[in-house]
Amino acid sequence: MVDPANTPLGKMLLEEITPVVMVLCTPLVEESCLKNGLSFVQMLSPFCDFTNIDVPVRTAIDQPYRLHKFKFRLFYASDIWQPNLEVAKERLKQVITKAGEDDFPEISSDLPQVNDLLSRHESEILPTWFQFFNKELVRTLSFSDHEAFDHPVACLLVVSSRDEEPINRFLDLFNTNKLPSLLNDGAMDPKILKHYLLVHDNQDGASEKATKLLTKMRSTFGPNDCRLLCINSSQDGQTRHKDTPWATFRYDALATEHLGHFLKLDDLNEIKNLMQELSSKHIIPYMEQKIRLLNQQVSSTRKGFRNQFKNLWWRKGKEDALDTTNGPVYTCSSIESQIRVLGDYAFMLRDYELAVSSYRLISTDYKLDKAWKRYAGVQEMIGLTYFMLDQSRKEAEYCMEIAFNTYLKLGSPVQQNATRCGFWWIEMLKTRNQIKEAATVYFRICGEDLLHSAVMLEQASFCYLLSKPPMLHKYGFHLVLSGDHYKKCDQIKHAIRTYRNAVSVYRGTTWNLIKDRVHFHIGQWYASLGMYDVAVTHMLEILASSHQSKTSQELFLRDFLHIVQKTGKMFEVLKLQLPVINISTLKVIFEDHRTYASPAAASIKEGVWCSLEEDMIPSLSAKSNWLDVQSKRIPRKYKESNICVAGEAIIVDIEFKNPLQIPISILSVSLICELSANPEELNSEANSSNVEPQNDEYKTSTSTGDINSSLVLSEVDFSLEGGETILVQLTVTPRVEGILTIVGVKWKLSSSVVGLHNFESNSVNKRIAKGRKAKHSPSADLKFVVIKSLPRLQGFIPSLPEKTYAGELRYLVLELNNQSKFPVKNLKMKISNPRFLNAGNQSYLNVEFPACLEKKLNVEQSGGHGNAKKMLQNVFHFPEDISVQEETSLSWPLWFHAAVPGHVSLYITVYYELENVSSIMKFRTLRMHYNLQVLPSLDVSFELSPCPSRLEEFLLRMDVVNKTSSECFQIHQLSSVGQQWDFSLLQPVDSILPSQSLFAGQALSCFFMLKYHRKSSTSEDSNPLFLQSDVRFGPPGNSEALFDVCSSPLADFHGYERLYQGMSCQGNVDFVFITQLRRGNIDSGAPHRPLLFSHHVCHCR
Amino acid sequence: MIVCVAVVGHQNNPLYIQSFTDADDALKLHHIVHCSLDVVDERVNNPKKSGPTLNETFLGLLYPTENYKVYGYLTNTKVKFILVTTDLDVRDADVRNFFRRFHAAYVDAVSNPFHVPGKKITSRTFADRVSTIVQSFGLSSAV
Repeated sequence: MVDPANTPLGKMLLEEITPVVMVLCTPLVEESCLKNGLSFVQMLSPFCDFTNIDVPVRTAIDQPYRLHKFKFRLFYASDIWQPNLEVAKERLKQVITKAGEDDFPEISSDLPQVNDLLSRHESEILPTWFQFFNKELVRTLSFSDHEAFDHPVACLLVVSSRDEEPINRFLDLFNTNKLPSLLNDGAMDPKILKHYLLVHDNQDGASEKATKLLTKMRSTFGPNDCRLLCINSSQDGQTRHKDTPWATFRYDALATEHLGHFLKLDDLNEIKNLMQELSSKHIIPYMEQKIRLLNQQVSSTRKGFRNQFKNLWWRKGKEDALDTTNGPVYTCSSIESQIRVLGDYAFMLRDYELAVSSYRLISTDYKLDKAWKRYAGVQEMIGLTYFMLDQSRKEAEYCMEIAFNTYLKLGSPVQQNATRCGFWWIEMLKTRNQIKEAATVYFRICGEDLLHSAVMLEQASFCYLLSKPPMLHKYGFHLVLSGDHYKKCDQIKHAIRTYRNAVSVYRGTTWNLIKDRVHFHIGQWYASLGMYDVAVTHMLEILASSHQSKTSQELFLRDFLHIVQKTGKMFEVLKLQLPVINISTLKVIFEDHRTYASPAAASIKEGVWCSLEEDMIPSLSAKSNWLDVQSKRIPRKYKESNICVAGEAIIVDIEFKNPLQIPISILSVSLICELSANPEELNSEANSSNVEPQNDEYKTSTSTGDINSSLVLSEVDFSLEGGETILVQLTVTPRVEGILTIVGVKWKLSSSVVGLHNFESNSVNKRIAKGRKAKHSPSADLKFVVIKSLPRLQGFIPSLPEKTYAGELRYLVLELNNQSKFPVKNLKMKISNPRFLNAGNQSYLNVEFPACLEKKLNVEQSGGHGNAKKMLQNVFHFPEDISVQEETSLSWPLWFHAAVPGHVSLYITVYYELENVSSIMKFRTLRMHYNLQVLPSLDVSFELSPCPSRLEEFLLRMDVVNKTSSECFQIHQLSSVGQQWDFSLLQPVDSILPSQSLFAGQALSCFFMLKYHRKSSTSEDSNPLFLQSDVRFGPPGNSEALFDVCSSPLADFHGYERLYQGMSCQGNVDFVFITQLRRGNIDSGAPHRPLLFSHHVCHCR
Repeated sequence: MIVCVAVVGHQNNPLYIQSFTDADDALKLHHIVHCSLDVVDERVNNPKKSGPTLNETFLGLLYPTENYKVYGYLTNTKVKFILVTTDLDVRDADVRNFFRRFHAAYVDAVSNPFHVPGKKITSRTFADRVSTIVQSFGLSSAV
């Protein structure tokens, strides 16, 4: 245990509980002193603290000891009043306000970190003004009548040598009318030590006159009690004091170095001598003597059994007589007051044993007298004396508690006393490392006064922080409480400071309700101080608080926008959480040599296209990628980054989510892009004129309408309901060559808040990247090499149905457009599902459908040959002379057959070559994708059974069921494809189905006789698959033409059907059942033209 | 009357806080619960050496505030249950009983395969069950 005198409390006590010397001086003395910027008391005060003296003292019982340290306090007589409570409060408020200004955290300073706080030393954490405030608070309680240590021990009478009739002035000074009430109302003994001081200002001339006066004084007031002090020896006032002793007395630190500029070192030494002599030769001996005197009196009246008994008896007797709130009034001559004075003097002279025994003696008296305030005061002193003795710690704390509780019970008049007592108690606990208990005491001394409580709560919070282990939750809680109190007292700066500290506790936790409130208040308060920038940063923290109630969210958003508006400038906020960007949905779609006819096509997996294009793209047999084969001259850079073409848009899909329950509207959503000149081009063609000037870098904002700029960005506005999620498609179109980087996305929340979000490139889910491009750096993901503008084909199939019935046969046209000036050639096409879609012959363009399919009498069968060959190779080559010229379009016939019911995805790739436009890209592909739904229509099945009577005849039964819900099919014909089969109906159609209409749900069965008919050798040459025989359904004499199942589209599709329905083998027979749907309203096709359906059933055996 | 119950995770993260008052004092109750965690930590780190309190899940009265009494309970997975009540004379047995039932409800809630450990408990069943337990608090002793 350290010496109690060296603990903070000990030091405080040795400073605050010291003898008081009352100063009475004439105005002329003050005048002389004020030349130095100091009052007389201020001038002397620094020299009243002696740390290196050696004064022999004897205790009351003649025990000698020595005082090495001593201090006394100087006060003007006019200041020796207990300050008015209101005045005191006002003074404390000023202290707090000032501290708030001084201690206000810098705007730029970071919010404190808990770990950082914990690693620092206590003295660094605690605001320095606490100590100062506490001292001020203790001082407001000085000069109470129930304590004696503030009662002046001595009186210093000071007269200037310039004064008229100095001797009389001395006598006048100690005029009882002007003396403090303490002396006048009898609370203390007016007979105190007097010391006479004559001050001579050396600027007024030599000191001879003063010396004469001194002798005169000595003869009047006694030789030992008079002194002469010469000051202002410096004539020019240029004296500078290095360590100004008065610095601590001027809080504003303004011009401290000018203080005392007329005081030479000699003057200071003289003052020092004067004070030392005053203390060691006058004050201490006087107090010593007084202690002795009092002790004798006390012993004779109170010590011993007889006296005690008598005292008890006497007190019992007067119990009923006096019952005022403060107990009886004790004058200085009462034995109680004398005991108290004895105790206080002993305490001040550090005779703690005597002090404690005196206090104990009197405490019972006060208790019996119900003089509670005095009782509390004495208990307080007992506690402190025990502390200074460093013994019976429990007892010390117990006494403090009694004192504290007693003061509290007395209520508001002595509230401040309770506070002071609490402070001392707290300091005691802190010395004993009971910091947590100290915090509770702080909490208890919070009174009704809000400001006072605020300071106490803040101090309590630091106790929790400093306790071992730290109690951070309580630290935060008390800071918040304290901040609220400060706010109520309009101490905004203090409130902000405490809340900022509290942030450190709540940051990183999920206690969102609390955290949001803290940030919200800090933001509001900063805003009220006009510091909008900081306010905004705090408001941002709570902007996207999805867990808050709707009203809170509205409040937060409104306040935020309000504050932003007040700043009067645009706020760019990185990672603004309103709305939230779902970065995992980020999808970049760009076109290099691969182009897409529709967004749907772009969303298809690259692998699907790759496999489709495999044998179409030149020399892809090698394992290298397309770039390697295209040109060896392509710089590495191109291989490693994505390529896009000038003038073609890069599409970025991204999802925005509104985390709040209130609707928000977002304006001007656009990408942030940088387009810089290609570094290689800069090197190689540095003088070339087409290199973009450097200042085009960071071209971030470009309006859509600005054609001349090198980048065109799309802007999207949308509004989000509470909790809504929206997928936004943004585009950027580079217009010149260079390197394009997509940095992020930005949007406007209101007119003045711009949200930014930078894409972290490694999180980009890039759909288009090829699997082989594994090694490139992640930063290349959103980096594009923009190459010169190239032709790009656009393609679409105008009347491809989305929904159709199985079996439908359609004639479609593929339209290819070239918007650029350069022609493309060498077109090739591949279709993923030839069973459904097939390229037709150019000759079919502009023919009448379905008339073109009708069987012509003189049809040549050779067409079938060519088709059969074409079927084998997957890639359809357009004729070589076809090229799509500048701004023209090419139409090409396609055949569509809905082969089977279900959902079908059709992938079509068109390959084309560019004519020497670019060295980097020689060809491109156009990818088209269609989804369609095929509904079941007719279920056709055949059953073949041998005819029992004839060997080469078979009985064929056909079952047809209309599976649609509403459609009515006209049955048209049944054809057999294959070997030489003849077949005929067993009974006329009229008898089975007079209308030839198969209604929804209707089933039909009919029987045929199938006759095998051996063919001649000559017909072997022709393809056996494309020989047919037909049966026409319909009324007799129907002139409708039969359809030719052996010519181009039907035969092609039949071939695919054979493939799909099983391997072709001899001896089987295939049937094609053709129906028509007269109502053409499935699709919006021409209503009068019947839809043609063909159902292929193969291998019926 | 019970004004607030809370489940706090082992990293002192709130998993479930529900107040049962009509007044808009959620923030205050959050503060009280948050604050009480210090006391829980203290209790846990300096257990009383006496026999029966060792390995005891019920932590007892954590601290009395001006208007509330705060009780704590610590599960073996270091999850804390906090109970804030306005009743001034609460029987220990009632509180124990409450926590026992609350613990059972909690275990059932976190046994849900869709519950992510360490995340807030969003189960409505749990909320319903808790409010039932809260409403029946103190009644069992009366019967």
